Amino acid sequence: MGDEVKLAFDLLAFISVMVLIVLGLGIIASMMGIFNFAHGEFVLLGAYTVYLFQSSGWSGWAGILAAPVVLAVVGLVLERLVIRRFYAAPIIAMLGTYAIGLIIRETVRALLGGQYQSIDEPLSGVFTLLGFNFSVWRCVIVLTTICIIAATWLFLARTSLGLQVRGALENPNLARACGISTSKLYAMTFAFGAALAGLAGALIVPLYQLSADIGTRFLVQAFLSVMLGGVGTFEGPVLGAAAVGGMAAGLPWIVIPVLADPLVFVIALAIVKFRPQGFITQGRL
Amino acid sequence: MLTEAGSDLTVAPQASKERRAAARARPFRRVLPYLEIGALAVALILPLALGDRTDLVTLATNILILSMLAISFDLCWGLAGIMSFGQALFFGVSGYVIALVGRDLDFSELWATLPLAMLVGLALSGLFAAFLLLGRKTPSIIFVAFGTLTGSYAAERLVSGWQYVGAGNGLSSVKLLKLGAYEFVEGDAFYFLALGLLLLVYLGARFFKQSQLGLVLAGMRQNEERLAFLGYRVQLFKALLFSFAGMVAGLGGALYSYHQGFIGPGNMGPGLSTTAVVYCLLGGSGTLIGPILGTAVVEGLSYALSDIAAIRHIWPVVLGLVLLLVVMFQPRGIVGLFVSDRERIGAYGRRRRAG
Repeated sequence: MGDEVKLAFDLLAFISVMVLIVLGLGIIASMMGIFNFAHGEFVLLGAYTVYLFQSSGWSGWAGILAAPVVLAVVGLVLERLVIRRFYAAPIIAMLGTYAIGLIIRETVRALLGGQYQSIDEPLSGVFTLLGFNFSVWRCVIVLTTICIIAATWLFLARTSLGLQVRGALENPNLARACGISTSKLYAMTFAFGAALAGLAGALIVPLYQLSADIGTRFLVQAFLSVMLGGVGTFEGPVLGAAAVGGMAAGLPWIVIPVLADPLVFVIALAIVKFRPQGFITQGRL
Repeated sequence: MLTEAGSDLTVAPQASKERRAAARARPFRRVLPYLEIGALAVALILPLALGDRTDLVTLATNILILSMLAISFDLCWGLAGIMSFGQALFFGVSGYVIALVGRDLDFSELWATLPLAMLVGLALSGLFAAFLLLGRKTPSIIFVAFGTLTGSYAAERLVSGWQYVGAGNGLSSVKLLKLGAYEFVEGDAFYFLALGLLLLVYLGARFFKQSQLGLVLAGMRQNEERLAFLGYRVQLFKALLFSFAGMVAGLGGALYSYHQGFIGPGNMGPGLSTTAVVYCLLGGSGTLIGPILGTAVVEGLSYALSDIAAIRHIWPVVLGLVLLLVVMFQPRGIVGLFVSDRERIGAYGRRRRAG
């Protein structure tokens, strides 16, 4: 019995991490049709911000609060300078964002000197509920993820700005004709997606050590999640992330770990192959 | 303005009219043949010029071998419009197969192992093509890009955890390539072997590009739906070219494995795959000679600058910047600087007489 609860909690925590990472990626991909290869590096920058704050003597919380802001600014600047040239050509956008990601990753690697840095959990320890031990920080991540999903959904579904976003997603030309500045919306969306990645990085870095490759390990899984769930919806990527995250965390319990990783990819690709429109069909955001 | 790679013909109508007028004004001169002959001449006299600088001969051989990977990517992207983020997969797997054949069967005869490597590349890329490209529903270009990326990433992860193939350390001290009693060590002989094979690959790819098949491919890059509407089975053509490209990459991987005496998980991962993208885009995709130039520039610079410690650390950053700048400002690559669009896209069949 204990094992099952532990497994379920591990799954839940990992799924939360995946959802946090995928949400920003999915929003950018849905809105702008750009698969942002630099997303993993946005996660890395979020983690690095926390590290900078911690090493200069601030509390970890300050870093976690600052990371989304820093990344929003980075995202805004990148969108203005580079990304907006790529809207017409999604494949070129992949190459461009890959280049950006490479630049960020290798710069951070040089700054870290190839070292692994461990970051303390702002809330450490475990608490006991019904005789089971739960890590406090993982619970924080799960709760934060739930809050963010709820907040994002409320923003998109209930506010007038969210209505504009949905309109621009549905029909950019018509939105422009109605006086909505889609270019401004796109810039904001990109910044928002980057900020989510930054927050994700800040939250997960205590679980994994900080190294330049912290983002890359999630990137391929995150892309598959978006494709699995369906581009152009809000629920799709969340569900996709849940599926991929669940498989990635659960399969090592069933098959040998070496095979588990590639198996996740094969299963996910096969599903995408036979259901290319994703779990949720387009246009329901 | 940037356009999708293949669509080298799509320029804004106004601009294209002006450009066409400009092109008519000055006589059309072919540049690519001179580039090709020049490159071949340089390649032929290089070992003589280098003399006893064996490290440079090794570097040049390496460039030739990596050029095969670059050409293989160019076949996918420049000709067929398939963005393959996993071209190194076929390169690496062939390299591993060759290394294993050498280790477990104690066999490394040239006439058998190189065809075997090509077969491995062909079969593997054929499988990928069948899964990613063929099928009832037309796959999105994004799906193919991610499929190849995922394949190469998964393979890298799988191999780096698999003890039988050396796990994270890869396979070192690969048996030397043999022809009868002669063993190819690093040096002039290996250089000319690689050059000869690259020449064969190049001529094959050039034949593909300029044949009627090349014309179909150019049409596909321009407007895939229209070609499909005319009755061409577009995905089948793509799959064909993708398989051929995989075969080329496989040959390159085998040579790499023999030449370096080492093959590791990194040789099949997304890292090397995207380096191939850099080679090709920097040199100029779709021109075939461009990827070779790009490989020479990138590898040459990387070797020349590796002595300077400050630059060696940030070399990947420089590569990233180069890729970003090329993608943003010079999508036609170095070759695009002095080769006209008309020639870059190419002519098919026999040339009409002027008049």
